Amino acid sequence: MNPHATFLSRRHFLRRSAEAAVIGGVAAPLLGQGAEAAASRFAYDVERFTKTDPQWLRYDPDGRFPTPRPQAKRISIGPGGRFYIAAQDKVCVVDLAGTLEATLSLNDVARCAIAGEDGLVYAATRNRVVVFEAGGREKLSWEVPGPKAWVSALALVGDSVLAADSGNRVIWRFDLSGKVLGRIGEKDQEREIPGFVVPSPYLDVEPGKDGLLRVNNPGRHRVELYTLEGDLELFWGKASAGVGGFCGCCNPIAVAALPDGRCITCEKGLPRVKIFALDGAFEGVVAGPESFPQNARIGSGRNPVDGTLGGLDATVDARGRVYVLDLVASEVQIFKPKTVS
Amino acid sequence: MNPTDSKTNPGQVNRRQFLRDGGRATAVASLGGLLGMVLGRSQAEGYVWQIDPSKCVYCGNCATHCVLEQSAVKCVHAYAMCGYCQLCTGYFEPEPNALNTGAENCQCPTAAIQRTYVEDPYYEYTIDEDLCIGCAKCVDGCTRFGNGSLFLQIRHDRCVNCNECAISKVCAGDAFVRVPASQPYLLKTQH
Ligand code: SF4
Ligand code: SF4
Ligand code: SF4
Repeated sequence: MNPHATFLSRRHFLRRSAEAAVIGGVAAPLLGQGAEAAASRFAYDVERFTKTDPQWLRYDPDGRFPTPRPQAKRISIGPGGRFYIAAQDKVCVVDLAGTLEATLSLNDVARCAIAGEDGLVYAATRNRVVVFEAGGREKLSWEVPGPKAWVSALALVGDSVLAADSGNRVIWRFDLSGKVLGRIGEKDQEREIPGFVVPSPYLDVEPGKDGLLRVNNPGRHRVELYTLEGDLELFWGKASAGVGGFCGCCNPIAVAALPDGRCITCEKGLPRVKIFALDGAFEGVVAGPESFPQNARIGSGRNPVDGTLGGLDATVDARGRVYVLDLVASEVQIFKPKTVS
Repeated sequence: MNPTDSKTNPGQVNRRQFLRDGGRATAVASLGGLLGMVLGRSQAEGYVWQIDPSKCVYCGNCATHCVLEQSAVKCVHAYAMCGYCQLCTGYFEPEPNALNTGAENCQCPTAAIQRTYVEDPYYEYTIDEDLCIGCAKCVDGCTRFGNGSLFLQIRHDRCVNCNECAISKVCAGDAFVRVPASQPYLLKTQH
């Protein structure tokens, strides 16, 4: 990666966001440097939250593999059990064992990628959605509207492409040619939608089999469920460093939907992956901070890479296995439900 | 990326950049006003001590090892990076009872951080430098969970520029560096 290009894109996010005075990026310090603070009477003490009570663990580790490229940002699983990992200016297509099968190139930092049943791959840079044919040829692309576009996640529902735009704080709904069909989640008093609060570029969207979109609202510490038409059906979540809440100033940073509709959430700061029931009841932990030591040590504000902080992303397969992308360690960890032999 | 490269981050800030950015866009407005004083010194002294915020590991020694009665190290705030969060992890204890200004919810040992409502659900956080002792507790919280917009700097209106900075000898992050007196601050901001 050209660090200068990366730096420019981060700067762009920060500069445009500063006016709105709500979105910060990370200017920041050095990945891998600076270990834990020595114990001091001034310590910001979160030690007690870094160990997971075994009674909450619902999953077991079941392998891991490194991402083909560093600085990975998002992972998704597509037809045939392939992973699509956005990293640097590429989308890496990886098999279940972690072997690189193909690489798709973009002309800017790849933020996220998903694949459809028809074999098309949808990838996004900061302000553009690019569609690739199965063979890797670029088929079409379109610009994401709005002055502050910062796409951080994509999803496919039927003939709609959904783009989570952290900069404009909206979920765009496009048709397959890129025409805007709707805007989901924007502040709207009449519809009783409070609007997304996104201090760093981590807005995510994930469709469930029930047809509802799971969207994280990190600054409000909750997950919101929307219809494709933009009605807010349900929301849940609370701010807390305790195991059942969302820690820090802005979490969760990513969501995934299990086949039965339950929700997987990822947090930064205290890197944790958890399961919540359909109604938002806390069910348990997939993996706690001890599973992501590098990530836990660095904290969210210490990553030097283009406004993307430390953190995690997750995707699930049809069997309910959870694949967690560790953005700091550049690896994918696999977790299987404890009930699965 | 080399974090000590001034082209990257943190940015070493000269007078022109300060004037262009203004206080809010960078760290603290008052830092800009101090440059004249530091520049005046630079003729004679050449270099001054500063903290590279990318290396600080929030050990707390800045508060306790400066030769001055109250440390010359202060927290500064890069507003352009701040999320203006309702639950600021620089301001609040890790598990506050409520998100209000009650002393039991706030973590700063000297109550040096002011919290001001902007609009739902955004709040602004400012540092009262006369109260700040540079303990880095807020820096730790902000960097761990937030955008890392709070960080420490040696304030050169206070620092007496010891030959060997007493804090540098005990700094757990080896974060103390000599910088030209004409560019005495290493701010977390982009240019
Ligand atoms: S927590 Fe420490 S460094 Fe932060 S404002 Fe208070 S005294 Fe200053
Ligand atoms: S040089 Fe001296 S006065 Fe300045 S911060 Fe270090 S110990 Fe304090
Ligand atoms: S002594 Fe060094 S590591 Fe400790 S708080 Fe000060 S700058 Fe940070």
